[in-house]
Amino acid sequence: MKTQTKRVVLAVAAWLVVVSGLHLWLNVDWSSMRNELRTESERKLNVAYIPVT
Amino acid sequence: MFQGFPEIKEALISNRMQAGFLVAPMAMALRSQGVPIKIVYLGHRYGSAVVVREDGPVRSVPDLVGKTMAVPSRFSDERLIMLKALKQHGLPPTAVKLVEMSPPDVAGALAAGAIDGFSMGEPYPSQAELGGFGRVLFPAREYWPDYMSCVLVVRDDVIERRPQAVQVLVDGIARSGLWLEQGREEREYAAEFVGRYYYSQPPALLRHALLEPIDRVMYTPLSPRREDFELVQDLMMEHGLLERRMAFEEYVDIRFAEKAEHLTAWKYAPWLVDND
Repeated sequence: MKTQTKRVVLAVAAWLVVVSGLHLWLNVDWSSMRNELRTESERKLNVAYIPVT
Repeated sequence: MFQGFPEIKEALISNRMQAGFLVAPMAMALRSQGVPIKIVYLGHRYGSAVVVREDGPVRSVPDLVGKTMAVPSRFSDERLIMLKALKQHGLPPTAVKLVEMSPPDVAGALAAGAIDGFSMGEPYPSQAELGGFGRVLFPAREYWPDYMSCVLVVRDDVIERRPQAVQVLVDGIARSGLWLEQGREEREYAAEFVGRYYYSQPPALLRHALLEPIDRVMYTPLSPRREDFELVQDLMMEHGLLERRMAFEEYVDIRFAEKAEHLTAWKYAPWLVDND
């Protein structure tokens, strides 16, 4: 019983690590976050546009 | 990349975006309401058209009476051009039902029969034409010879604290515009890389928008001209979109455009590179 509980806990932990890793990789805009950390004079301007010519 | 002008407006107000392309009347209305932005340059000239169903009964502006037409915003040049055309034919603004719709949705809505037509910037008129379900009733310049639509706006705090960054942005647009006006090869190349890497749109669609005919959308002159904005302001006052008239200097900062006046086109012709 104890071994089974340990397995479940490990499986859940592994699942959490994988899902969190995928989330950080796919959903977080790292370049935007890095840009926010720069000093104002070095920061890139964010320019909004819609796909029209 | 955004899907509509109202979202860009919110992003500018909240300072999530420091600059952006907005339809001119929206930029002017925001400024009149105290939003700290100024117009510094244009995005393009012309490039908007009124499109109706290919197999529909509308053959002229008077045929639009009672029809449902989509526009990108109440505060858009695309709406003003519809109203201008109606007026020229002696028709009141209420003759047509105008509905606001996100630009990427209009071609699908026309194909599905949800609307009778739309007034929108490229490449959506091209999308309807290439899809075989839409026909250009008239390009904007037919009723508005110096038509403009999208303008580049920048937040006041950025203009004040980072004028060099704004100048780099304006210079880049100016030089890109001059580059695009050099000929077909530049436009074909732009259609390819913008379609693939920026707009997620088929390059063939952008090729049509940029080349059929080649002056369908123009990228010079992009410097904000007082008389163009006076006309927009007149139309906005006439249709109740502005509560008070504004001086040109109140909503346009011309300094960046003036500095970009003598720039030359990018020297960029990758199609000439010998790959052997």
